[in-house]
Amino acid sequence: MSKQQKVKTPLRNVAGTGKAGVRHRQEALESFYDGFKVAGIDFAVFLPDSMLDGVEQLIIERGDIEAYQCSREDEGIAMAMGAFLVGKRPVALMEGSGIGMSALILARGIVQKTPTMLIIGHNSTLGERYDYHGATRLVAEPVLRALDIPYHVLFDPGDIRKVIVEAQATIEGQRLPFGILVPSHVIREIGESR
Amino acid sequence: MNRTEVLRHIASLRNGAPMIISPGLANYPIAEAKDEPLTIYNMDMPYTTPMALGMALGWPERKVISIEGDGSLLAGPGVLSTVARYRPKNLLMFVFDNGAYLTTGSGKAPTTTAFGTDIEQLGRAAGLQNTRTVHDLDAAKDVISAAFTQIGPWLIVAKVDKQDRPAERGPHTLPMYVYEAGLIFHRAALKEKAAKK
Repeated sequence: MSKQQKVKTPLRNVAGTGKAGVRHRQEALESFYDGFKVAGIDFAVFLPDSMLDGVEQLIIERGDIEAYQCSREDEGIAMAMGAFLVGKRPVALMEGSGIGMSALILARGIVQKTPTMLIIGHNSTLGERYDYHGATRLVAEPVLRALDIPYHVLFDPGDIRKVIVEAQATIEGQRLPFGILVPSHVIREIGESR
Repeated sequence: MNRTEVLRHIASLRNGAPMIISPGLANYPIAEAKDEPLTIYNMDMPYTTPMALGMALGWPERKVISIEGDGSLLAGPGVLSTVARYRPKNLLMFVFDNGAYLTTGSGKAPTTTAFGTDIEQLGRAAGLQNTRTVHDLDAAKDVISAAFTQIGPWLIVAKVDKQDRPAERGPHTLPMYVYEAGLIFHRAALKEKAAKK
């Protein structure tokens, strides 16, 4: 039996990731999904990302939130904003690097009062070990801060549902995008090889 | 073929349909024809078609129109593959190809279509099936009329001249409400949806 199989926390194997793959906490994934449902999220756009893949696959499996995959993150944010304009409650999911691609469309959304929720894999400080994520962890939060976009870095998986619901209230109340950043430990099994 | 003439034809068929227009001269004939509430003018490029795609997927009962230039479409051509993947039946993409960044500066800077890039073929290669390139007004009117009545998504590339660039810049005549545009559009969409329930 492998080391990973001995872990008692319910885990979700991400299909097709092989030995280099990751396992997500099923409880955390369910919390994201529950949060989306309670918040009324009905339209999701994503660019695949290892950190958030479990959430994205759960959305697709459950099938009651429309799910679309984009070609670039800024394209996906624009799609989400378009969906908002016609009455949807959208969320855009991506790696932090995608926020670096998206400063202009986020600025347009602020100016035009056309928001979306942003779920962002990685953050600036916690749980990052690889140099190839250096630019990813460098770019996301500074872009959000530069544009005065409210954001919250998750720490406790028990907060996921509440943060999503409250973020959506801010999005609709302030008509601003809102970023929720997801450090690795929140969604992956602690201590697993990445 | 003059872009303004084609835009007037699109406006005549629009029937209030949601529309997003890329930055530049194409905005003016649309606003002059009728300033509809379901309009986003001067969308930053390259987000015209991506935002229209989100609208089309989110409101499948309504035709949704994107008005692109060659420059703005070429700034983000990847969206063509996303459109081709999801094939929203209600999305109409019009690209006005004059081979130049006509609105910008001197208007003399060419786009890559001036050197052979073929936007319709980009769409075909991305997987789109309903594509046309038109070179004269009669052909443009025929295919645009068809696009409004037939199943999409449509990619129509209109090869136009540069004659709609004014010799001198006059006062800004667009409705000046980009800060309100999202509110106006959103309210109008919700109102229309509620009325049809």
